[in-house]
Amino acid sequence: MTMVKLPAATAPARPAATSRTRRGRADRKPRILIAVTALFFALLYLPIAVVALYSFNSKKSLTVFGGFSLRWYRAFAHDDVIIASLGTSLRISLVATAGSVVLGVALALGLVRCRTRLGSLAGLVMLVPLITPEIVTGVASMLLFKGLGIALSTGTVMLAEITFSISYVTVILRSRVAALNPEVEEAAMDLGATRWQAVRLVTLPALLPAVLASAVLIFALVFDDFVLAYFTTGVDPQPLSVRIYSAIRFGVQPTINAVGTLMLAGSIALIALALFIPRLFGRRGGLDILSGE
Amino acid sequence: MDATTPAVRLDGVSKQFGDSYAVHHLDLDIDAGHFFSLLGPSGCGKTTSLRMIGGFTDPTEGSVVLSGEDVTGRPPNRRNVNTVFQSYALFDHLSVTDNVGFGLKRKGVAKAEIRQRVGEMLELVQLDGLADRRPRTLSGGQRQRVALARALVNRPAVLLLDEPLAALDLKLRRQMQVELKQIQREVGITFVFVTHDQDEALTMSDRIAVMNEGRIEQCGTPEDIYEHPASRFVASFMGTSNLMSGTYRDGEVALEQGPALPVGTRSGISDGTAVSVSVRPEKIWLSDFEPGMSKLRGQLRETVYSGPTTTYLIELAPGVTLSVLEQNTDRARMEDRWSGGETVEFGWRPEHCLVLA
Repeated sequence: MTMVKLPAATAPARPAATSRTRRGRADRKPRILIAVTALFFALLYLPIAVVALYSFNSKKSLTVFGGFSLRWYRAFAHDDVIIASLGTSLRISLVATAGSVVLGVALALGLVRCRTRLGSLAGLVMLVPLITPEIVTGVASMLLFKGLGIALSTGTVMLAEITFSISYVTVILRSRVAALNPEVEEAAMDLGATRWQAVRLVTLPALLPAVLASAVLIFALVFDDFVLAYFTTGVDPQPLSVRIYSAIRFGVQPTINAVGTLMLAGSIALIALALFIPRLFGRRGGLDILSGE
Repeated sequence: MDATTPAVRLDGVSKQFGDSYAVHHLDLDIDAGHFFSLLGPSGCGKTTSLRMIGGFTDPTEGSVVLSGEDVTGRPPNRRNVNTVFQSYALFDHLSVTDNVGFGLKRKGVAKAEIRQRVGEMLELVQLDGLADRRPRTLSGGQRQRVALARALVNRPAVLLLDEPLAALDLKLRRQMQVELKQIQREVGITFVFVTHDQDEALTMSDRIAVMNEGRIEQCGTPEDIYEHPASRFVASFMGTSNLMSGTYRDGEVALEQGPALPVGTRSGISDGTAVSVSVRPEKIWLSDFEPGMSKLRGQLRETVYSGPTTTYLIELAPGVTLSVLEQNTDRARMEDRWSGGETVEFGWRPEHCLVLA
């Protein structure tokens, strides 16, 4: 009897012990994952950090840091050509954002509500610019303007940027529009609104967070854009990205570091704004900038 | 508009989607000041009919006449009707006050008057404390009241309600049924109420139209519809009806299997006609029979106690089981009198037996 009982009494102790060690092993953070993650962020941000650091370099060198100075920011502030290019870029970004948001929202509304075969075809064709290599888009745009006899200028950059930003806006807005309750617009019409008033008073306010998020994204994308701008710009103050590229061909000036750092700061501010937008509308949780949700 | 002009008239109205009819040649008059229900299972065309009155869907045939005026093809914003939507469809970016005032603002009513009318309406629906809240922060019942107030404040000739109580839990729904009826009496506006819930329609309506497959099966008072259903569909849709099939001959209906049921002489039904017979569960007696009642026997199969009432399932013949409802008064309950499987006697007045040709 006792012989039989003994193993039964000791048996539970052993699995308990092994399970404790197993849990202990699982609790330990896998160092390899931490290392890989750290490496990823280092490779991603170190070059940018170097640019930011050297923008404060007191020396002209791009390899030796000679102490903190705002010398290159002052140089930037006195560089009329770069300042003019910055102005051009801001103007292009603002106009392209406004234009593509208005058209993109309209397209999203149309695509969701038009349930014909032609409508779904349009929905597919709309996605093509997203996967077309930008260089193809750029060359095609340039050839189009030349073929139509339109002189390349800031205006042609704006037109090209609007055209190819519409898809982004539409992609972001489409799911939001589809998620809207169609009865809400009907309710507005039921209460005396015309179709247009219903869209303006009820639908657009409901879409506003996604509209603002897509506007921020488009502004950042257009401001950054080089390829399309390069092919469609004229000689009037060129967009900043094109100007920087041209400047680098004649040797890299540390001023570029200062410009880059300012652009980075601007982008961070925009992203912060995009994340802050949903709070303005009393929503909990963050806003996914790509889905507008 | 004189007193006899119906608030709503549907004149030969059809709605076709492709080859199928959602609504098929509907003729319907709804009197002003009535609480009118469109009742039917899902897909019967009741919501489509409502949407055609509201102007959200255009009929493919026929005309919609509101207070004597043909409004067919006119958009919703140019019809003197308002709608309470099933989803409530509140404007989430506006406060309760602005939601309710939306229609008045669109009509260009003066601000002071808007404030006053919105205030009165919020009081009527008992929301006066929540005027500044956003709809998102309200409970289902409160949202429902906002939707009602938002429509009623415009004083429409007709208020359309598309299953407005469907999303509420049972207790709240019961409470809102009574309240809606009271509000309707108070404001005197014609209500057209769409529902699939026969209890709801019976409780609230002055008149009910029972719809099936795009057509009206029967239109009448709740009592008419319940006590004298005009078709098998209406009889079976309005509660438990104990439908049985048989052949009519000489004041009796011979079931396919089982006994002949005495139903009284029916003029208008000739001998040998295949008919359906229906006796409501509460019209069948299990004791204290009166002279002139038809008495039958069957096997007690099941006893279902549900608080105020008990339902007995009695097998009259193979495959024919009747539901019998008894109030649980202090009379002896049947399960104390009989045990399952026993043969019991039951009876009904022949006039309570519906014969549907």
